[in-house]
Amino acid sequence: MTETYFTKDNVQFNVEVKDWEDAIYKSVGLLRKNGLVTENYATEVVNNVKKYGPYIVLSPGIAIPHTRPENGALKVGMSLLTLKTPVYFKDISAPVKIMISFSATDNEKHLEIIKIIVKIVENGLIDKISSITSLADLNNLIGDDLS
Amino acid sequence: MLQILVVCGAGLGSSFACQMSVESVLQDIGVKASVDHSDISSAAGTRADIIISGKNFESQFQRYDLQVDLIFLDRLVDKKEIQEKLVPVLKAKGAL
Repeated sequence: MTETYFTKDNVQFNVEVKDWEDAIYKSVGLLRKNGLVTENYATEVVNNVKKYGPYIVLSPGIAIPHTRPENGALKVGMSLLTLKTPVYFKDISAPVKIMISFSATDNEKHLEIIKIIVKIVENGLIDKISSITSLADLNNLIGDDLS
Repeated sequence: MLQILVVCGAGLGSSFACQMSVESVLQDIGVKASVDHSDISSAAGTRADIIISGKNFESQFQRYDLQVDLIFLDRLVDKKEIQEKLVPVLKAKGAL
């Protein structure tokens, strides 16, 4: 599944954002640029976070912006941003340093993306990823860890 | 078989990730159960013995008044926290 690899087209390091909303728009913006979601998708994510609380903050330091397929997902895929300045979400004490946005077309097909996200969290890679500045280092870190 | 449902806002990300950690914990402690994930709006109508969700959904579930065991996690992919909170519920149900 090519869409579950990190490439120059779906990764940006040290991105400057104003706040959590801006971080979602920029992170989901990479999905949009790659034709994975409609223009509406980012707004849907922001609205759902306002409605349900910060359900996208999976673990301290990492957010995984996403919403239901019917809210504008076109294909399965993901993107990764590391933030120059971490952002705070309501009611969450630890700031978010990395954003992995993804799109899903049903409840199951994005399994490989979730596996990568779980590995990153369970293996404590969030801080390492937030200090990485090259794609090769990122793929080495995650690739080594997945193998 | 025991049915465990993991719930989050969209039913795709946090809940799916948490499901993996729950399955891994169940394997560690040797309990067989069927685990699935779902979004909060369809969770109320789904049959399950145990529902696991994030702390931020606690008040919403209380409004639903469901007759199931509810577990709320601070960290959805923290196997230690999952095991600590799941084991007493499994014991109470006679599954462990």
